[in-house]
Amino acid sequence: MQPVIRIERLVKSFGHVRALDGLDLDVLPGEVHGFLGPNGAGKSTTIRILLGLLRADSGAVTVLASDPWRDVVSLHRRLAYVPGDVSLWPGLTGGEAIDLLGHLRGGLDETRRAHLVDRFELDPTKRGRQYSKGNKQKVAIVAALASDVELLILDEPTSGLDPLMEVIFQEEIAAEKARGRTILLSSHILSEAEALADRVSIIRDGRIVETGTLDALRHRTRTTIHAVLAQPPASLEALTCLQDARLEGDRLTASVEQDDLSTAMAELAGYSLTALTVAPPSLEDLFLRHYGEELRPALAGPDEPAASPPGSPGGRGPAEHRHRADSPGTDDGGAR
Amino acid sequence: MRSAVVGFRPLLEVSLKQDIRNTVPWIALISALSGSSVLAFGWIFPDAASRADLTATVAANPALSLIFGPARDLTTADGFNAWRAGALGAFFAGLMAIFIVVRNSRAPEDSGQSELIAAGVVGRQTRLAVPVAMAWQASLALGVVASGVTVLLGGAVADSITLAATFTASGVMFAGVAAIAAQLGSDARSASSIAVSVLGVAFVARGSIDASAAPAWTIWLTPLGWTQEVRPAAGNTWWPLLLCVALALVAVAAAAVLHEHRDFGLGIIPPRGGPARGGAVVTPWGLAIRLNKGSLIAWSVAFALLGTVFGFLATTIGSLFAENPDISRLIAAGGVTEAGLVFEFLVTILKLVGIIAAVYGVQMVLRIHAEEVDFRVEPLLAGALSRRRYLASNVVVALVAPAVAVLIAGTVIGVVATVRDPSVRLDEIVRQAAATVPAVWVHVALAVALVGAAPGKRRAASLAVVVSFGLIILGPIFNLWDWILGISPFWHVPNVTAASPDLSGLGWLGLVATALIAAGFAGFRRRDIGT
Repeated sequence: MQPVIRIERLVKSFGHVRALDGLDLDVLPGEVHGFLGPNGAGKSTTIRILLGLLRADSGAVTVLASDPWRDVVSLHRRLAYVPGDVSLWPGLTGGEAIDLLGHLRGGLDETRRAHLVDRFELDPTKRGRQYSKGNKQKVAIVAALASDVELLILDEPTSGLDPLMEVIFQEEIAAEKARGRTILLSSHILSEAEALADRVSIIRDGRIVETGTLDALRHRTRTTIHAVLAQPPASLEALTCLQDARLEGDRLTASVEQDDLSTAMAELAGYSLTALTVAPPSLEDLFLRHYGEELRPALAGPDEPAASPPGSPGGRGPAEHRHRADSPGTDDGGAR
Repeated sequence: MRSAVVGFRPLLEVSLKQDIRNTVPWIALISALSGSSVLAFGWIFPDAASRADLTATVAANPALSLIFGPARDLTTADGFNAWRAGALGAFFAGLMAIFIVVRNSRAPEDSGQSELIAAGVVGRQTRLAVPVAMAWQASLALGVVASGVTVLLGGAVADSITLAATFTASGVMFAGVAAIAAQLGSDARSASSIAVSVLGVAFVARGSIDASAAPAWTIWLTPLGWTQEVRPAAGNTWWPLLLCVALALVAVAAAAVLHEHRDFGLGIIPPRGGPARGGAVVTPWGLAIRLNKGSLIAWSVAFALLGTVFGFLATTIGSLFAENPDISRLIAAGGVTEAGLVFEFLVTILKLVGIIAAVYGVQMVLRIHAEEVDFRVEPLLAGALSRRRYLASNVVVALVAPAVAVLIAGTVIGVVATVRDPSVRLDEIVRQAAATVPAVWVHVALAVALVGAAPGKRRAASLAVVVSFGLIILGPIFNLWDWILGISPFWHVPNVTAASPDLSGLGWLGLVATALIAAGFAGFRRRDIGT
């Protein structure tokens, strides 16, 4: 299947700062692709290159089988874009801005426009300077979603939206996906990506450090379990497949590799389980695995030993650190 | 009252630190204006004969008194300085003060920065008091630096200080005007427009009173007449400066009252709703016109008014020629005719109109850059809009609008002049106005080249207009070489009433403008947007 967006070894520098450092990204037709990373990781730079606003220093970029720098006009008829920080013309009304942006893309679907203005409760007669941040965002969202395009590029589209509008946004994105549109959703709101994305890519310092379906990524992350044991073991030594295990009275907290789950359950059953909570690995865990070590110095105790080198590829180190960091001062139990 | 300006000192200190970079160039420019005339006078007009020539030339050209005011004494360096730097210096000091006040009162309110300040422990009037204090401090600093520089370069102490005091007075007054404008306008742009319009009207009023045979008392009608009546190097009468201070205090008090009654982020004029649908705005052309609509109307009206004033002037200068013995002798000798001199005056006036139109056109082009850094170009270019088409729509408006403005002014000058003096021919004046347009376009095209290819150097476009103005208005007086004068595109504008007007200059101007615009388009296509 030909990807809708294909980026290979993309490099972009601004002066001495290397914003993108060999980034690879594939977005497949019909998928919602979560593009995750904190501020400054290079998400917006990537998107501006996809839009032909910035020129790549090196690397290959194809969007809908076209060159985003060269084929600007023909390509842009087929995509729509919502920036994270919408800047509207102070003197133009929201309605005018929607029609302008839609017209430049080759026209709007009138029914969709009316539907979206209504759903997002947008007053299109107000002028740009009168809109709040969230309402500016709505203008851009309506303009993009009311266009009949194949690809939607959304750069932190819900920043500034209230929780009610965020729900509506998610519903509308789901509807777009059902129509067969491809969506690149850049975000740092993980629950949003978790709710919408088929696949996610995590960017860090201008490179993709992890990419795959949420299930596949979850597979690589441990499940957290909380259990209450009627007959707690004297020592944790016997529970070989638990990681970061901690026993406080009859309460056990630990994490388990996906593959060890059934073994772990069998082992625990031997101690008379009276309660069990299993939390599936969240995107947050995934994310923190790559960024966790940045949090570590702030949270960790002073006696923290030197960690594995930062950025060790796919390493478990940072995740462990985080688990330890969550409870500074407690004994690890030496579960390994 | 005390609590109204709580936080004044810390806010002032921070603001001064941030704004000083923007203010220093103004102080340097105006001080250089004053200092350079003292320095240059001795070199260019070394003896009594050359000074007498200068006096005669200036007296024969009412366009010069329109800009510089009356030449009271051109036989000394200080008298020359008072003439050359007085009116212009006061004008620029006023501009400086306006920009300081708007930049520090209204602009941060638009960007939301003031919201952070206003939420802190600051009094209600602090956010207005600080920018006014900044503008006053800058005006004082200007006075000190300008007089110091001028004295160092050889100016007489009393004369130089008096002249610099008029700059300070103008800055102090127009800071007050800007403080009011900042309350009236609904955003920084309209606040600046209001204040600059008031300054422009004051300047043109002073100029036309000086250039015509108006009664002496009329000069007191414009605040820029007051600074002129201080008469630096020709009596040094200080008391009119008290009028300036009084006006400034009244204006600031009025602004404070308005500020008290105004909602944050809004003007006194309440915002209205607008159309729910796009209408004509949906194309890049419609957008370019719509975004510039306000300024298109305002400038067209301004040029019509300028045309009216200049049209009246053109018909009153005949009597000035009759009173001037040197010119009467020239006319009697058959070297020139009165009609020829009047038309020569019109050629200069139309060049002046052209320079104002160039300011207008360059501003429109610079706005393309402002839209880009405000991230408003990004969503447009994310649509199916090529960079070429986007730039073209804006550039065409920036070329057509000043051209129309020059033609409006030319036509109005012609109509007013022919009504009052049937010997003046309307079609000649309109044709002369049309011949001025290509020179305006070269300035606009330079701005296009810079904004398109090298946006970091875009300020050179405004500087070029200032240089062009200096060369075309002052160059001939200083007897500069043609190759220097030729740097200004306006030098190449022919007099269309000449026996066989040389139109090749216009061809060259067209060629240069085309090349510059092409460079701008080529650069705009290749560079990163929004960085």
